[in-house]
Amino acid sequence: MLLTDAATRHAIFVGGKGGVGKTSIASSLALARAQQGARVLVVSTDPAHNLGHLWERPIGDDIVTLWRADGQEGAGTPGCVDGIEIDPARTVDAHLAAVSTTMTRMLPERLHRAARDHLESARKAPGTYEAAVLERVAETLETGLDRYDLVVFDTAPSGHTLHLLSMPEAMTDWTEKLLANRDRSERFSVAYGALGGTKDTSDRDAELRRMLLRRRARFSLMRDTLADPRRTGFVIVTVAEPMPVAESREVASQLESLGVTLMGVVANRLSPAELMPVRREREEALLANLDLGAPITRIPLIDELVGLAALERLAGVLA
Amino acid sequence: MSFSSRWAAFSKGLNDFYAGPYRKTFGVARRDEDDHFMLVVLAESLGVPDPAAYYTAELLPAVYEDFHDWHQRSGIPRSPLDHISCC
Repeated sequence: MLLTDAATRHAIFVGGKGGVGKTSIASSLALARAQQGARVLVVSTDPAHNLGHLWERPIGDDIVTLWRADGQEGAGTPGCVDGIEIDPARTVDAHLAAVSTTMTRMLPERLHRAARDHLESARKAPGTYEAAVLERVAETLETGLDRYDLVVFDTAPSGHTLHLLSMPEAMTDWTEKLLANRDRSERFSVAYGALGGTKDTSDRDAELRRMLLRRRARFSLMRDTLADPRRTGFVIVTVAEPMPVAESREVASQLESLGVTLMGVVANRLSPAELMPVRREREEALLANLDLGAPITRIPLIDELVGLAALERLAGVLA
Repeated sequence: MSFSSRWAAFSKGLNDFYAGPYRKTFGVARRDEDDHFMLVVLAESLGVPDPAAYYTAELLPAVYEDFHDWHQRSGIPRSPLDHISCC
């Protein structure tokens, strides 16, 4: 059910409370799709990355191959799973270095030091880390949609992720406002010039406009992708216990207000009925009352969920 | 001075007389927009927490040169930023 649904999507965000098994569900979903022949990219946006631990290999800010269908060459369905663990610090460094280069190019020498100091204050600003995560998510989403059949985001615990998903909208507004400001300034400037005034800053204005337009394009692409139910879906992972279930309800209602489609709920690590019948009954009672408007997929408890063999078992359960 | 050049000067004078105030209005309006923009870009370093500092940083190079004019116009005689000593 979840897998059939996933086959029609291009981007899937896997979220939920901390410690419910988001990484293993995201990874096994990716693996299951790859086994069907899809090219899949798994992206971890959680600062406490678990992807590498699960796949038992180092994964970093650059794409690495995690799994490839062997013996499938020429068969026309070369499925694969690639992975990436987003490192916001590296993004901030690269971004500020790029801005610094622009500054050096545009500013007279006497202002260089001051400009660099100013950039350091931006590095420490409260929103910088989040902005960098957003930037990388937007970037991997862009390249991912381009080069893969499916991009699976293994996200940070609920609160962070909901905030992240709301940012493209907010930042599109932000760039719109600044662009409107530039428009007004330019119109006044034209009128001023037409009446005999002179102040030529057109290069500078063009530069500002160019940067704002580039930002807006990126933010609005992400916003539009997130809100498109045919391309993007959100999967809530939970375990059948009161608190994660309560948080799942909260997440579902917030997704609705953000306009992001909830495509499925995964009830992870269900107790084995034959060993713990009472406990399992209690879990089922909880799930019976959990109607989030999306189908619930039940996943049994799997011991020592680490490594490819375990992921294959989990992928088998999903399929 | 020939008639035509005197006429040109007269015409320019008339033009300044009539268009001048409007030009000034547009100039001021434009400056207000630019000042507002500067404020947005500099928010973080002026002590206003700016969640978009990551993005405003890249706009900075394009407004930096106007910074000195801006803080003087805003009635701040010395640079309000510790690390920017433009005067």
